[in-house]
Amino acid sequence: MSVVEIINRRDVGTLASFTLQAREALCLAGPVRLAKGRVHEALGDSADMFAVLAASRLSGPIIWIGLSRDIGSLAPTALQDFIDPARIILTEGISRSEVLWAAEQALRAACAPCVVIELSNGPNLRESRRLQIAAEEGGGIGILLIHGRAHTSACETRWHCEASNAGENMWTWSLTKNRKGELGAWQVRWAKPDKSGGAYEAGVIHLAAATAA
Amino acid sequence: MKRVLSIWLPQLPLDLRRRKEDPRVAGVFAVMSEIKNAWRLTHLSDAALAAGLSAGVSLPDARAICPELLTEPSDPVREAALLRALWRWADRLSPWIALDAPDGLFLDITGCAHLFGGEPAMAAHTRERLADMQITSRVGIADTKGAAWALARFGGPDISLAPTGQTGAALAALPVEALRLPQKITSDLRRTGLQNIGQLTQIKRAELARRFRLDLTQSLSAALGHSPDPVSPKAADPVYAARMTLPDPIGFQADLLGVLERLTSSVCRRLAGDGKGARRYYLTVRCVDTGDHMLHIGFARPTHETRAVMQQFRKPLDDLKIEFGADWFRLEAAHIEPIQPFQISLDQHKQAEDDTSKIISTLGNRLGFDRVRQFMPVQSHLPEREFVSVEAMDRRAPVSWTATPRRRPVRLFRRPERLVTLQAGRPPKRFQWRKSIYATREAKGPERLSAEWWQDDSGALRDYWQVQTEDGPRLWLMTYPGSAEPNWFIAGRFA
Repeated sequence: MSVVEIINRRDVGTLASFTLQAREALCLAGPVRLAKGRVHEALGDSADMFAVLAASRLSGPIIWIGLSRDIGSLAPTALQDFIDPARIILTEGISRSEVLWAAEQALRAACAPCVVIELSNGPNLRESRRLQIAAEEGGGIGILLIHGRAHTSACETRWHCEASNAGENMWTWSLTKNRKGELGAWQVRWAKPDKSGGAYEAGVIHLAAATAA
Repeated sequence: MKRVLSIWLPQLPLDLRRRKEDPRVAGVFAVMSEIKNAWRLTHLSDAALAAGLSAGVSLPDARAICPELLTEPSDPVREAALLRALWRWADRLSPWIALDAPDGLFLDITGCAHLFGGEPAMAAHTRERLADMQITSRVGIADTKGAAWALARFGGPDISLAPTGQTGAALAALPVEALRLPQKITSDLRRTGLQNIGQLTQIKRAELARRFRLDLTQSLSAALGHSPDPVSPKAADPVYAARMTLPDPIGFQADLLGVLERLTSSVCRRLAGDGKGARRYYLTVRCVDTGDHMLHIGFARPTHETRAVMQQFRKPLDDLKIEFGADWFRLEAAHIEPIQPFQISLDQHKQAEDDTSKIISTLGNRLGFDRVRQFMPVQSHLPEREFVSVEAMDRRAPVSWTATPRRRPVRLFRRPERLVTLQAGRPPKRFQWRKSIYATREAKGPERLSAEWWQDDSGALRDYWQVQTEDGPRLWLMTYPGSAEPNWFIAGRFA
């Protein structure tokens, strides 16, 4: 995966310089940063790919929580280019409150480094605060896929993800909210790693430094 | 003087099928098992015996002798279960019963026989009751286990009795096989010309021991009652359950949890002591007004941790409506499996696996285990049949995925969604889907997939197109070729 910053590029130096506490290890490093122990929101058509690419940087199970109509359409066949589908644990809730409960449990359990939560509308302040606290306890990363509208929330970042029409496996990720840092937008391309023997190795996808930087 | 009754069930596998009303048992039928790399008949029906077959014949020979022979491999698990059931049944005859696998029972009937009107009457009673259950049996009664065993199997009539103190005389005429010795020793005995037990007893023990080693003399002295050979009863399967009855009903959550903790720690201590864990726990709460309520929890892997059980029960106990209190509780562990202990600090992978199964249990107990699932690959060329999801609790072995040769969308709609064509084309140049209008920029296709004709509901031929729209999303369009007015569907969305 290589990243090209395209829009609204600010000084890359400021991006790299904001202070991090020790426990705030990063999931995505380089110009695109995603803090662990935090909940992030992703909107747009390619939000699910944002979650998948973030999960591909981590090892361990991925707990994917949503209503049955949302997670029922997830197809592992296509995901295996990016992650090992056997890592995914699908969890189906029948109501928004069940989904949020399961998300809190999963984030709090230290076993899952990546929890993906599908919601029809974004969490409100109270819901997102609870998720945020659970993520801080567990140390994993929570990614909220919001199909509808996002509300004011306590989440760390908010990303708008669209497929880029420049070519296959290219996306435009724009960071529209960031509680600790600058906003920005990046063009992300998936560089297919060499798969030896069909084995998936976590972290083989490297975010190259921004070419512009 | 001890008296021992031995029951032999010579046709246990056939009786098992007869009790299930298997019509084959009435015809030429045999049960076989694999002995020394060959399938051999072990138990034969009467018709099979009449056809000239005998036990020990190999399957090809038997088929040659009697082409209409029907056979079935033996099922040791079900036979053992039936024997165990009979072992439980036999406590009406005597309180002191031992299993004699694979096809017999030993009963210590010292002081019991007079309740049935004497030993012959008791033996007849036993055979009758077993015959009522469609089970063929032979009975031997003697002073020792070995002698009773020998009489049941090698005594002439179906009921053989050796009167008290006359074991030697009763055994004298029986063949040497009746001593229950390894095959090698009995064939050696026969080669030396010793045919029956009476001949053995006339030889000095020391000479027998020198020639045939101590196995023979030990077996002989046990059968004749010179050395002790008691009936040691089999213990019942351990039941991992605990019960608590209270003088007054309780209803506060803290009190209930206190009761639960006592029950759980008792059950879990016993499980841990035996190195076992349970996958399911059942808690019965008897309310004074509404009767019994059964609460149950499950685990993704066997566990005996009090804390884990307590935590999983907290939620169902919270939901339980107790108005006037409950005064009787019972906790039972089920689906018992052995637990292999492991070292936490050295085996981090194992620890992570443990944490995963913990979260699966937590989610499953609240949402239902059918709603915590994982993907499994399936061999198929149709996009919707390439994978299934199974319950995460069921999937024990890791699966391996092989990469598909074709590009597939990340979101695959189970039921393709109809789109409204605004500007016709192949695929449509402009179309409306989910309240948005899209324009096709480039399209790749068609990929024609035929249905799986070997399936019942195989469906129709279809064409798929990968469409890159102007605004970004890459969609997977589908149509059924050959129809006059093409209907277009969105089958999925690419990443």
